[in-house]
Amino acid sequence: MDHNIPLKLLAIGYDPAIMQVVERLLNSHAGWEGVIALTGAEGLEKISTGNYDAILLCVGVSVADEGTFREAVNTHHSSTIVIRHYGGGSGLLENELRAALDHNK
Amino acid sequence: MAQYIFHKADSRGHDHHDWLDSRKTFSFGDYYNPRRMGFGALRVLNDDTLPAGKGFGLHPHDNMEIISIPLKGSLKHEDSAGNKAIAATGTIQVMHAGSGLFHSEYNNSEDEEAAFLQIWVYPETLNTPPRYTLGTLQQDATRNRLHAFIAPDNADGTYVRKDVWFSTGHFDHGTSFTYPVHQQGNGVYAFVIDGRFSVDGKELSARDGLGISETAAIEVKALSDDARLLLMEVPMNIHQ
Repeated sequence: MDHNIPLKLLAIGYDPAIMQVVERLLNSHAGWEGVIALTGAEGLEKISTGNYDAILLCVGVSVADEGTFREAVNTHHSSTIVIRHYGGGSGLLENELRAALDHNK
Repeated sequence: MAQYIFHKADSRGHDHHDWLDSRKTFSFGDYYNPRRMGFGALRVLNDDTLPAGKGFGLHPHDNMEIISIPLKGSLKHEDSAGNKAIAATGTIQVMHAGSGLFHSEYNNSEDEEAAFLQIWVYPETLNTPPRYTLGTLQQDATRNRLHAFIAPDNADGTYVRKDVWFSTGHFDHGTSFTYPVHQQGNGVYAFVIDGRFSVDGKELSARDGLGISETAAIEVKALSDDARLLLMEVPMNIHQ
């Protein structure tokens, strides 16, 4: 992964108010570019048409939905990291991502 | 054989802002240490001090069990579920973020600082309705004995999941006890709030932490007067 180009991130979650905060936090971080999807259909569409370094599964995403998203990622971009984001744009966001990226080095 | 992980107080992450001083046992915010991503289902243990009138403005959470233990002063809590409360020393605040809510936590005093432990535990199930509980910690329940203030069967609602127990107590020098682990597969994170303890023969001072796993019981002895200990029993496998 070339860290000179922005890390492209997709966050999928179903609570618009919380996801606005997640989007703001992602884009306030130097070197990160984040977009959000607020429905399952929008998430699957963005997975199939976009190219992301990591996908965060956020508020409202069930275990069943997680399976669907992971399957879609494996189909389209098997190198994309998929992580569950806990806490809702919390103090965990940055180190969840850093840990996942470190793990995949 | 029991496994141990020791976190000395001065090895914790430290953030200082004009509105918050925070010592972090595990990675959180700007503090990142890949070897400190939690202890089983225990993910956050922040030792926070809020100056007078300062605090955390309105912000969201979801899918996390957030426990606040006031150590000095009191916190003014408000959330988007309509809960308003003052969490003072001697109370325990449990917020089940579940499917999501916004909340704020401010020092309730305009004159004196407040201090509290902010503890996060991964939830048992995702996206369940938010819940807020303010429990009381009876002083006489914790004198020279452990009091399980968070437990699956607590009548006052201070529970977080069916496999988590938090206990605390104030102990006189020399008091000793055995803590039996409630559930196989659980570990116990011992955090010294005040004083000194021996935990399974390992000496801990104030704000030191010791994670213990793969054991059925833990031997504890207070090594000073007015020693206060917090034991957090959590599943070591977070996705059960």
